[in-house]
Amino acid sequence: MAVAVAVIGKENSPLYVRTVNPSSELKFMYTIHASLDVVEEKVIVGKKSSGELRELYLGLLYPTEDYKVYGYVTNTRIKFIIIVESSYTTLRDNDIRQMFRKLHNAYSDVVCNPFYVPGDTICSKQFESSVKGILIQE
Amino acid sequence: MSRQGMRSTDPKKVNSELFTLTYGALVAQILKDYENDDEVNRQLDRMGYNIGVRLIEDYLARTGSGRCYDLRDTADKLQMAFKMYLSITPSVTNWSPAGDEFSLILENNPLTEFVELPEGHGGLKYSNILAGVLRGALEMVQLEVAAWFVQDQLAGDSCTELRVKFLKRLEDAMPVGED
Amino acid sequence: MADDVLFELLHMEMTISIFQPDQSESKRSSISKLEQIGFCTGYRLVERLTKDWPRFKDELDTMKFICKEFWSCIYKKQIDNLRTNHQGVYVLQDNRFRFLTQLSQSKQYIEATPKYLAFTCGVVRGALSNLGITCIVTAEVFSPPTCKFQVQVQRI
Repeated sequence: MAVAVAVIGKENSPLYVRTVNPSSELKFMYTIHASLDVVEEKVIVGKKSSGELRELYLGLLYPTEDYKVYGYVTNTRIKFIIIVESSYTTLRDNDIRQMFRKLHNAYSDVVCNPFYVPGDTICSKQFESSVKGILIQE
Repeated sequence: MSRQGMRSTDPKKVNSELFTLTYGALVAQILKDYENDDEVNRQLDRMGYNIGVRLIEDYLARTGSGRCYDLRDTADKLQMAFKMYLSITPSVTNWSPAGDEFSLILENNPLTEFVELPEGHGGLKYSNILAGVLRGALEMVQLEVAAWFVQDQLAGDSCTELRVKFLKRLEDAMPVGED
Repeated sequence: MADDVLFELLHMEMTISIFQPDQSESKRSSISKLEQIGFCTGYRLVERLTKDWPRFKDELDTMKFICKEFWSCIYKKQIDNLRTNHQGVYVLQDNRFRFLTQLSQSKQYIEATPKYLAFTCGVVRGALSNLGITCIVTAEVFSPPTCKFQVQVQRI
């Protein structure tokens, strides 16, 4: 399961960031920020190709020594980043897809709240509880 | 050449979501215009009334339903209408001893599917349009009722309860829509 | 389906009640309010409808989605004709527009039609805006229920 989950807005401002351990938030913020360039690149390459490469899930963005960073971009240009520990070798690609799917569903419910202003940071309780299901519980 | 995807989207679901989202946008706009919760509730009730007045035609045409025998019959027909138009079946309960008042309990309310109320709007009756629809529709079949929400899941209650009280039977001959 | 009726009645009621004759507000602000309600609806609806959709290739690909899948969801049919000058102007023609089919064809009704189109102009603008296309949407009616929506993409 994930150690960090982030939702990044259209103009690359963070709408939501949660880490399992709040003290590591700054470290992960750096990782997330660095991953955004890879995301953009992958989207541009993906658009030119046909078929499967145009899917919203971008796969592994890059591995670091301790973590693996995965990305996903919605058609509405919202970026999702999920970070998992590299030591979790049992985690399959399908599990990661599931996490993103869950996150995407939760995010689109947030947008559909008539009182949510798109681009604002997310403070929905519903969303919070969905993310909890994705993060590792310590 | 149809693209993949979409396959999983149920058209019936999309229909009700379209209604839910449009209604949400409307409530947000009215809230912006009036700011005051009570006034918003009043506007929603008024719009609901106008919708109810027109909706009853459709209901009667679809069901071929006749006059209500009594209020219990009315309650059953309301339950059927909820099923037809909103795909939910509220339970009819909490009858007053005199049999002139009852509640419709909504366990899930499609109108509020995505809604989280903003801070400081505890007085907002988000679904108040439904109260108006009931009132308008029943008036067209010569039943004057009062309808109001007594509980709302959005406000933290365990269910959403719409109370209906029979006021009087209107004369058939009275021209509709006149004050 | 019965829930269609509810949406149509809601749209009709919004349109009528925002245009109350005794309101001091100008006609223009009424139109822009309806447009705004449409914008919020379109913006949110497209978020849901594109959830399982492969990434759009380009602007034209996005417009085709709006004309087919998106239009079908709201208006029960696809756009009949899409034309573009390939410079950011798209004309979407619907020969049997859902909100106009119940209206009479007499002249005075044609004059009243802009208010029946305002919500939809907003819906299209909202959907495209969320998909990253900033635009102006206007509508024209020559003979109801046929109408044309013109999308003018704003390039930055």
